[in-house]
Amino acid sequence: MRRLAWLWIFVVAVVGLVLPVSAADKPVRGYESLGVVAGKQGGRLTMILGDSPPSFFYYGVIDSNLQALSQHLYDGLVEYNYRTYELEPALAEKWTISKDGRLYTFYLRRDVKWQDGRDFTADDVVFTFDQIVTNPEARAGDAGAFMVGGQRVRFEKVDTYTVRLTLPRAAPATLQYMRLYIMPKHKLLPHSVEGGAKPVDINSAWPTTVDPREVIGTGPFRLQAYVPGQKVTLVRNPRYWKTDAGGMRLPYLNQIELLIVRDPEQQVAQFLAGNVGQLNLSGAQFPDLKSRQQAGAPFKVISSRTLFGSPPHLAFNFDARNPELARLFSDLRWRQAMQMAVNRQRIIDDVYNGLAELPGHGVAPISSWYFDTRSFLGKFDLQGAARALDELGLRTGPDGVRQLQSGRPLEFTLTYGTDSAVWPPIATILQNDLKQIGVKVNLQGILSRTLLSTGLSGNYEALLLAFGDQPDPELRKPIWQPGGALYYWHRTTQPATPGGEPNFAAMQPWERQVYDIWETGGTTVSRPQRKALYDKWQVLFAQNLPVIMIAKPMAVGAIQNRYGNYLYSLGVIPGYNPVPLIFQK
Amino acid sequence: MLWFVARRVLLMVPALLAISALVFAVIQLQPGGFLTQYLEDPRFSPQTVETIKRQFGLDQPPHIQYLRWIQGIVTRGDFGYSFLNGRPVGSLIWERLGWTVFLAVLTIACTWLIAIPLGIYTALRPRGTAATIVNLVSYLGQAMPDFLLALLLIALVLSRGGANVGGLFSPDYIGAPWNWARLRDMVAHLWIPIAAISLEGVAGLMRQMRAQLLDVLGADYVRTARAKGAPERTVVWKHAVRNAINPLISLAGLSLPTLISSTILVSIVLNLPTIGPFLYDSLLNKDQYVVTTLLLFSSLLLMVGNLLADLALAWMDPRIRYQ
Repeated sequence: MRRLAWLWIFVVAVVGLVLPVSAADKPVRGYESLGVVAGKQGGRLTMILGDSPPSFFYYGVIDSNLQALSQHLYDGLVEYNYRTYELEPALAEKWTISKDGRLYTFYLRRDVKWQDGRDFTADDVVFTFDQIVTNPEARAGDAGAFMVGGQRVRFEKVDTYTVRLTLPRAAPATLQYMRLYIMPKHKLLPHSVEGGAKPVDINSAWPTTVDPREVIGTGPFRLQAYVPGQKVTLVRNPRYWKTDAGGMRLPYLNQIELLIVRDPEQQVAQFLAGNVGQLNLSGAQFPDLKSRQQAGAPFKVISSRTLFGSPPHLAFNFDARNPELARLFSDLRWRQAMQMAVNRQRIIDDVYNGLAELPGHGVAPISSWYFDTRSFLGKFDLQGAARALDELGLRTGPDGVRQLQSGRPLEFTLTYGTDSAVWPPIATILQNDLKQIGVKVNLQGILSRTLLSTGLSGNYEALLLAFGDQPDPELRKPIWQPGGALYYWHRTTQPATPGGEPNFAAMQPWERQVYDIWETGGTTVSRPQRKALYDKWQVLFAQNLPVIMIAKPMAVGAIQNRYGNYLYSLGVIPGYNPVPLIFQK
Repeated sequence: MLWFVARRVLLMVPALLAISALVFAVIQLQPGGFLTQYLEDPRFSPQTVETIKRQFGLDQPPHIQYLRWIQGIVTRGDFGYSFLNGRPVGSLIWERLGWTVFLAVLTIACTWLIAIPLGIYTALRPRGTAATIVNLVSYLGQAMPDFLLALLLIALVLSRGGANVGGLFSPDYIGAPWNWARLRDMVAHLWIPIAAISLEGVAGLMRQMRAQLLDVLGADYVRTARAKGAPERTVVWKHAVRNAINPLISLAGLSLPTLISSTILVSIVLNLPTIGPFLYDSLLNKDQYVVTTLLLFSSLLLMVGNLLADLALAWMDPRIRYQ
């Protein structure tokens, strides 16, 4: 027995000498400040999926559960640094961008294998972008991102490990899109146009009834089994191309289980029972779990500032049906008065249990694109707001409600989402505070998922909504550029025909300025110049208040003490997946 | 009799058609659409919206969508396509039907096996201590929503350090091959949903049975039976219970559609892999063919249940004749 053990050690040592960690592997290092330590291999982690994945094909359906699952299975050419959110090499070992910003060359990491053992090459990359991502019929593709100035971006294979992109004109956000997951050509070819299928057929690749062995990526884990409506099981990819700081191959865990649990209370119950290892929480669930932790429960609750996540805002419809309200809401002085009446500190303390901070304007405060606009937020000051309303000529009537010029009472409907822990209390706080200054707010609750479509339909007066922050402002252009598809508070700026020129005549002067900033920013190559442009936009945003930003929530997660190296991840952002670092103690 | 069944089955066709049209119309009235949930995704351009609408036939007027759907059912047995899951509706329902039927049969059996004897017992001894306690519990059972009871049971299990707080299995046993350990694990999980779903039914059914039997026990023919010297057992079981149970059989027919709809909330809070939450998600997402198919299925179950109840009545009660 002993001799066998020695023999084993000898074999391992020799193999270790002969096969050093390939130079093409990516060491994951530099995260000591985040508390990352060397882990050990083995173990299993159970996490939650909020619902069944509708498909296993990432580009077939837009679905947060599919996204949460996909991050374990696939990789992109580039990915985010866990600490700085800057892009760094992933499947591409390095890349170059020509001076004019039109030519991108990606040098792929060699010796990366698909999970079935086949080589990963430039063919896969070109196939993914050419046949899947830019296929306009792919339901979760992104053809729009690769149409620059009305022309398609060209993808070419230079050699087995080199891919070149040619853009019609400079578009610096293109690098962000290189996070998109690369798919195996040898598995998906029959579903593509190149393989003889119709464009729409790509959506039916890899349905959830497929043999799990067919679904392969380059990612840290591969699909092992799926029990419909109950559980997805993933196993470690022993050929993964990342190592830890000490050269040990990642991921540490042998297995990941994704338990399908819809109800948030049931998720917490499963976590408390120890069936689940990690859980993302809302601020409302924080106090209960934190007090259990302090009472000695075997888990940690962690809150952290993150870049992702959606800061709520209050929007007034510049084009409200009632012309008097539309005129008022378009007036900057009205929105300034309303900003003074937003009690941010109370919302942060009461609604988020303190787990939120003052918001940025279109950019998360920890982003490198952030410009500090906090001084523009002002202080909560109801008397000041009342004075500002007086100056607008909105006199208080006999019943304590201010009157519009026409003599009608100053009241508006505030639409909010009922199925959430944050919207109802925020709406109530606003309603109560505004009542004190003679503004009558009628609350209208709807399902959260219909908030945006209600906004886009223009059928509302005021609305509470949140848009997710992204690492590059360009990714949120349709929201913040006047005339953009999601610029819902001022719909008259929309182009008459989709894709046409926006309605400049409807824009206020500052909106035109913001529009031009976005146009220039989208084609400027130099990072400092882009930063200066987006700084200017953030200031214009903070001064002119197209919407009133309320707060930026923090991320809250809980993890059982038996696991180490837990970094919070929202779970649905391609290119930000710290799970390979998690290990079982 | 055969003619009666045939006529009833034939009548179901226009009824189902009317129901499907009505349900489809109501879903069209629901604000928002299947695509609204995606609007914020950075990938979701207006062009994508148009493309997907075209792919799913949502660019057609509603009546065309409806007629195409009906045509698919009649000609190909195709119940349409789930937008959300990108798969035919039929296979999605089939996937979830097993556990749904299993749970429903178990809870319905439990409900009847407990409720009928309890109802008879409390009717025979209406003023005993045991009957008073049973009555009290049944009041509570009727007053408390099933999902609340489920949540309370979860809290109870958690506070006692248990791990069987939802679902049908521990994570380890999901999808594992059957063996004794897995069966034990399932039983350890199963009692919570069975208790939560059954209690309300037991309470209701027991009170019905009790009221019916009390009624019948006061009837003249029961007094006659006693007067002519029939033994008490014959009086109760042959004369009274058999007459008292008739309305309950009609009630049983009505309970078939609960297979789909009645356990939605319990299934969500207890994370059961049944059709209920699937219907709920489809409603929220306006996944129209899933919703219409499920509601159609539910009405079909109702009609079949009624028919079966009528047949059972004819069999139980010699006075009932179908010509």
